[in-house]
Amino acid sequence: MIALLKTAAVVFIGFSAVQAQQVPDLEGGWTRLDTAGGGSYGGVDALFPRAVLTPEAAARIPPPAAPRLSFAENRVHQVGEPYIVTDGGCGGATGFGGVDVNSAAFFIVQTKDEVLITRENPSGRHIYMDGRKHPDSSRWAPTNGGHSVGRYENSELVVDTTGFTNGRVAFGNGLRSPESHLTERYKLSPDGNRLTVTYTWSDPKIYQKPHVYDISFERHPKGSYPIENWCDSGDPKQRQSIVPPEQVP
Amino acid sequence: MTEKRPTNQLTGRGGSICLALVLTGFAYAQERTMPASPSAFDPHDISGFWELYFDGQRVPRAQLTDAVTKAVLDAQAAKDAKAVRWCNILGMPFLMGVNRPLDIRQGKREIVIAPESAVATPRHLYLDRSAHINADVWDPNTVGDSIAHWEGDTLVVDTIGFEPEHGMTAIPGGGFRTADSRLVERFRLLKNGSLLSVMFTWIDPKVFRTPHTYEFRYTRAPRDYEARLPVTCDPFDEERTRFLTGSPQSGNSARLR
Repeated sequence: MIALLKTAAVVFIGFSAVQAQQVPDLEGGWTRLDTAGGGSYGGVDALFPRAVLTPEAAARIPPPAAPRLSFAENRVHQVGEPYIVTDGGCGGATGFGGVDVNSAAFFIVQTKDEVLITRENPSGRHIYMDGRKHPDSSRWAPTNGGHSVGRYENSELVVDTTGFTNGRVAFGNGLRSPESHLTERYKLSPDGNRLTVTYTWSDPKIYQKPHVYDISFERHPKGSYPIENWCDSGDPKQRQSIVPPEQVP
Repeated sequence: MTEKRPTNQLTGRGGSICLALVLTGFAYAQERTMPASPSAFDPHDISGFWELYFDGQRVPRAQLTDAVTKAVLDAQAAKDAKAVRWCNILGMPFLMGVNRPLDIRQGKREIVIAPESAVATPRHLYLDRSAHINADVWDPNTVGDSIAHWEGDTLVVDTIGFEPEHGMTAIPGGGFRTADSRLVERFRLLKNGSLLSVMFTWIDPKVFRTPHTYEFRYTRAPRDYEARLPVTCDPFDEERTRFLTGSPQSGNSARLR
C-alpha cells in the first residue's frame, strides 16, 4: 500500500510537472485589439497605467525629441508656404517585435528551441527556449529589444528579457536600462482566438513598483497572410509637400 | 485478517484505478507537450540557424530567352541598384543568400525563415494549405506566396505572386523575377542534419528557356548561436550614397533628387 502510494505520488508529481509545461498553441498571426476604446495609438497609450518612477528615474525622462523635418512643426502654415509632409524615411529594422506593439500584425512560430516572432517588415525576435541563460553583461551589447529567454508555465509562455539600451518603454511613461527586466506572459483564451500578453517591467533603480500592463490580440483566420510593409525612401511621392491653398471666404 | 482483506482489495482496486487515471492524464499531457530535451536528428525538421558559406553555392549560368536582351538586363540591373541604394526591402531571391545565418523555424502549420537583414522581410512557408491565395486577394510582394509539403525527406516549396517592381529581382546565374515567375525549392537535410541543401528552380518562360536550377548548401550554426541585430541601412547616409552611386554629390543632394 505504501509502495503504491509512493508510486502514485511520483507519477502525480511527474504529471504535474508535465502539465506545468503544457504548450499553448500560439502559432499564427495576431492583431492588436483596442479593448479599452482608446481610438488611436496615443489614445490607447493614455489608458495604460502610469509607471511609478523613482525620483532619480523621473528626473531622467528626456524632453520630447526635436522634429526631424517641418512636417512635425505642429503649426499653421500660411497660404502658399510649402511644407513637407514626410521625410520619406522608412526607418530601420530594430529586430524586435514584442514590446512596442502597434496596430500592425505580428506572427509567432513555436519550436522546442526557440519561439520566433516576426512582423510585416524586416524583423525577427528570438526567444530562446533551450534553457540557455542570459549572456553575461560583459559579453552583451545592449539593444532596443534585449535578450529573451522563455519557458512554459501553467499553459502560458513566460518570457524574460533584459540587456536593453537605455530608453523609454513604449507604454505608460516608463523607462528601461540594461539592468531592467521585462517579463511577458502570453495567455490564450479558452477558444484559442484571443491572446493576452501581460507586460511587467522591473528595475528597482527606475520603478518604485513593477510597471504592469496588458495588451490583447485577436488571432488571424486561416488563410491570412502578412502584408509586406513596403516603404521606398527613394519614391518622391513619399516626400510629398503640401502648399496650403488660398482659402475661399 | 479476513476483515481487512476486502478493504485491501478495495484499496488496491481503487489505487490501480487511480494510478491508471493518473497515467492516462500523464500520457495525455505528454502528448500535447513538446519534448523537453533536444531530439535526435529528424529529417522532417529543418529548424535551426543556417549559414551560407563561401563554398555553399553551385550556380550554373541561366539559359535566357532571346527577349532578355542586354538592354533589358541593364534596365533591370539599374532598378536593382536603386533598390539597394534606397534601402528598399529586397526580398527573394536575395534573402536566401544573405551573409548572416537564416533563422528557420518549423511550426505545426508553417515554416518561417527570418534573415538577419534590415532589408528583407521574413518568409512564411505554409504547410496547412495546398493552394495559393487567390490572385484576387493576394497582394504581390517581394517574397511571394509560398506553400509547402513533404515528399519523403524533401520539403517542396512552391512560390508565386511576386511584385516585379519591388526589391532586388536578380536571380543567381542570370535573369530576374517577374510577376509570372514560379519558384520551386527542395529543402533536404544532409550529413546527419548538419547541412541543409536547397535546390532552387525558377520557371518563367518569358525569362528562361528552360527552368533555371541551382543549389545552396547551408551549414547548421552551433546550438548556442545568438542571433544578432541586422546592420541598419540608412538611405540618407552620404558616404554610403557616394560609394554606391560613384557620385560626388552629397546625400542631401541625393535626397532631393
